[in-house]
This record gives sequence, structure tokens and C-alpha cells, in this order.
Amino acid sequence: MLFITRPNYDDTTNYLYYWSEEIIKEAEKRNIKVIDFKGKKANRVDIEKFLKKQNPKFIIFNGHGSAESIYGQKEIIIKSGENEKLLKSKIIYAISCNSASKLGEDSIKAGAESYMGYGDAFIFLYDPNKCSNPLSDDLAKPFLKPSNELAISILKKNTTEEAYIKSQNSFKKEIRNLALGESTNKEAIRWLIWDMHCQKLLGNPKAQL
Amino acid sequence: MNDKEEIRELVIERLKYLPDNIKVSIGNMGSFDKEELIEHIKKDDTIGKKIVEVELHFLMALKEGILSEQRISSD
Repeated sequence: MLFITRPNYDDTTNYLYYWSEEIIKEAEKRNIKVIDFKGKKANRVDIEKFLKKQNPKFIIFNGHGSAESIYGQKEIIIKSGENEKLLKSKIIYAISCNSASKLGEDSIKAGAESYMGYGDAFIFLYDPNKCSNPLSDDLAKPFLKPSNELAISILKKNTTEEAYIKSQNSFKKEIRNLALGESTNKEAIRWLIWDMHCQKLLGNPKAQL
Repeated sequence: MNDKEEIRELVIERLKYLPDNIKVSIGNMGSFDKEELIEHIKKDDTIGKKIVEVELHFLMALKEGILSEQRISSD
């Protein structure tokens, strides 16, 4: 089972919301049950209730974050020292800023099998004229595709370490294409390198679905 | 002009090459266009400091050869 949260209330969460569709489709293609808490459903009460009753092996959190917390729809849903125990025995990928630092480490201490995410700000470029159709935004693609690679690799039953390496290689591929190609978007390279270096894998590198 | 001011000026000059029609999402700090990024650097606030940090990280990565054929080729 894949449990995914998809808040959607500003440009950043809107992009993550739509780019996660690729992950959901891949899970469905593989007959993996998807529980999708999107929009207002991505709230703390409902998420805690779900995680106490159900036991999804793989969790993807989209949204804003900090060193100690992950946000859903405009509110903290997981916070270090409060409810990270709900992540026990799970593989987590947090597509959010900073949480693969204190929250990631505390989640592993609380029994999470593996925690992947970003140890600092997750940054991406986008075209504000494409907000109504983020999947068509070629500025955002080099950032969000490598991120999706990690989740899709887990769904393909690769280990977290293999998924992490695949995502890192995808970042490198995007950087190479921008550096060596004729793209006018070479300015994106600095932020791609930043994201690639901020991406972290904590916990068991051999964890898999 | 001290070292920090010089670095901020350098980053601002580099950001001027960004196209006008893009925005940069910096997580919960928000989304910013080129002019807004430059304003934050001038104010030297949290967002400005983060942009400078990213730029210095990039320059350091360049110095270490991040864009050499070998370093960015896929395994």
C-alpha cells in the first residue's frame, strides 16, 4: 500500500500535487493500492487516524517542511517529538524542505525503516504562466522528474539505496543535459546541484517494498 | 565594501542573467521572481542569505569540477 499526501494551496504545493500523479499512476499500474489524501484531506487529524488504523509500507509526503516538521494543507501533520512514532516500520519519502534532518533522524530513532527527503530547502524553477498545467512546464521538469524517479524506483521494488542512486543519477542527467545541450535554461544548474546534494537517505539502505 | 557585501553584489550580478519570466520556489519561504530575489539579497534577510548560500555552494561545486564530463555522467 502507498499512502500519499498532496496538499494544494500555493504554487509550490500545486506543482507537487500534479507531478505526483506520475507516481500514483505507476503504483496503480503495479496493482499497489494507493491511499491519496489530497487537498483538505491532508490534515493532521485524518492522517493520524489513518496511520493508527492502517499500516502502509510506503508513505510519500508532499508539501512544505522544516527541520522538525512536515506540512499538509496549511498545517503541520508530522512533527518531531509529537507523532513521528506513526512512521514506525515505514519507508518514507518527504518531498519537502529540510525534513530529512531532525525529523528524519528522529523518525529513524522511533523505528521508521528508511527516511528519504531533503536536508535543506528543496528548490525548483517554474514558469508562472504554466501554473494551470504544471506537467507541461519544462522549467520545473528537470527538478521534479529526478524526485519522482526515487518514488517510482521504490514502487519497482528496488531498495532505498538503489532508488536514491537512481534519483541522484537522474539529477546528474538533467544537469548534463542543461550544461552540454543548447538549453537557454542553464541558470537552473545551480539549483539542481543544490537539490541533488540536499537529497538524503537515512535509515536502512536495503529497505524495499 | 566588506567581503559579505562584495559576495552579495556578485550574486546579484549573476542573478541578473535569469530570464524575467521565471519564478523560483524556495519551499516554505515562498516563490520569487528575479527582482524579488535581488531585493531579498539587498535586504540581507533569511531569503537573501539562502540565495547567497546556494550560489556559493554552486561556485564551490564548480571549483571541485562538478560539471566535468566524468562527474556528471550517469553511472
